[in-house]
Amino acid sequence: MPATASSFWNPKTETLPKDQLRALQLAKLQRLVDRAWHRSPFHRRLYERAGVTPDRIRTLDDLRRLPFMTREDWMANQAEKPLFGDLITRPETDAIRYHLTSGTSGRQPLRVLDSRKDWSWITDMWCYGFWGFGIRPTDKVFFAFSYGSFIGFWGAHYCCEKLGCLTLASGNMTTEQRVKQIVELGVTVVCATPTYALRMGQTAEKMGIDLRRDGKVRRVVVSGEPAGSIPAVKKMIEDMWGGKCGDTAGMTEIGTIMIFECDHQPGGPHIIEDHFIEEVLDPDTGEPVPYGERGERVVTSFGRGFIPLLRYRTKDLVNKVPHTRCSCGRTGDIYEGGILGRVDDMKLIRGTNVYPRAVEAVVREHAQVEEFQIVIERKDNVQDEITVKVELKPGLDAEWPRLQQQLGKDLADAHEGLRFNVELCKQGELPRFELKAKRLQDLRPQY
Amino acid sequence: MANDAKDLLGNRLTADERELVDLYGRLKALCQRTDLPPVATANVKQAMVLLWNACNDLALLHEEPGCD
Ligand SMILES: [Zn+2]
Repeated sequence: MPATASSFWNPKTETLPKDQLRALQLAKLQRLVDRAWHRSPFHRRLYERAGVTPDRIRTLDDLRRLPFMTREDWMANQAEKPLFGDLITRPETDAIRYHLTSGTSGRQPLRVLDSRKDWSWITDMWCYGFWGFGIRPTDKVFFAFSYGSFIGFWGAHYCCEKLGCLTLASGNMTTEQRVKQIVELGVTVVCATPTYALRMGQTAEKMGIDLRRDGKVRRVVVSGEPAGSIPAVKKMIEDMWGGKCGDTAGMTEIGTIMIFECDHQPGGPHIIEDHFIEEVLDPDTGEPVPYGERGERVVTSFGRGFIPLLRYRTKDLVNKVPHTRCSCGRTGDIYEGGILGRVDDMKLIRGTNVYPRAVEAVVREHAQVEEFQIVIERKDNVQDEITVKVELKPGLDAEWPRLQQQLGKDLADAHEGLRFNVELCKQGELPRFELKAKRLQDLRPQY
Repeated sequence: MANDAKDLLGNRLTADERELVDLYGRLKALCQRTDLPPVATANVKQAMVLLWNACNDLALLHEEPGCD
């Protein structure tokens, strides 16, 4: 059988019976724990505190002996031992990639490093997803995304090169130019955030272009926002583009995607279970929840060598269902509806993490501000908008134009360039609080 | 490579799998050399990590290859 006829990137492990998949996970887990113990002082301390040693990991259930790893611990470790903490297992000079994402407090970002091997693995995880969604070497893949310090879509670009696709970057183009090129070149696959996939569709309409008739797009791969698994949004994208829309999700902490939607579109993405253990736990008790119940994703990753990630509390809300929900033959379970939301107050705006505390830290650097409020809304059912409403101290109105500009810039700088709207309110317009201020209003529909 | 080598699941390696592991091992050894010109070292490292992916994904091994 020619390789291109396979529906699986890796038929051997993607279709492994569950008991063998568990055995494979255990073999990898034992090696991972051993490496974390010997090479990462951060992990060694965590395990010593919990009284666990690598030889205690004898069955997959022993995973639960390991303590959780949290983003807060990670950030604190970075702050104590700048720039990367002693979480990393190798000298910085061994890294070939550096990426970052916005932090939980103030301006300190979460920083990640990858070796040549890590980066190659990151690329390979995207290959599972792209191949599984039917993308092949003859495809022309267009990335409607501007790469930068944020890790989003970088691995996907390299994945398409590895697959042998014609791979097109478009960081320098306007939306109109992108639409034009997609049609002119006969692009067959478009990658974007769901929001932007819709925006390009709307722009095409204004330009008098019917993407279904004039274009050749047969797949739209989305990432970066939960909307990629919302049926209504998928349908809008598919109606506009005339091709199937497939969801993927990843995170900077992992470096790549851990779930992808297969060509059968079973209503949610499969977990790449030969590279990740995805536990779903009650966020309050830390106890596992059964199939079909919402809980918090807790991930263990076998791929990134620089940064061991074990039992990492993602704070993503998910609902795991058995792999048999899909008829494709993969034995990786499915997150029905993709990533459903966040356990805590972190907000995902157009693919960027926004923490109210981080926004507050920036706003409070401007002494002219008396009170403020963060409002998140979903415009036209699709695009998330974040607005910081500001009340000035009395008598400072003349400073507003300059402050408005500066605040917008500072907020964007602290959030990978995310655009914030900054609006002036009248004196006394915003609510005041004595205890437990609720300065964030998330007016988006909850799913 | 020995004919009785096994993958992470305890299965004996196929002839193709043995060849992949063998190639990976040879490239890994070349990566450790310090006497090769940059053109050889850098390209061998690139090739090695790609072979690592094939072997790792196929559950033939699971290790850190240890180059940059
Ligand atoms: Zn499937």
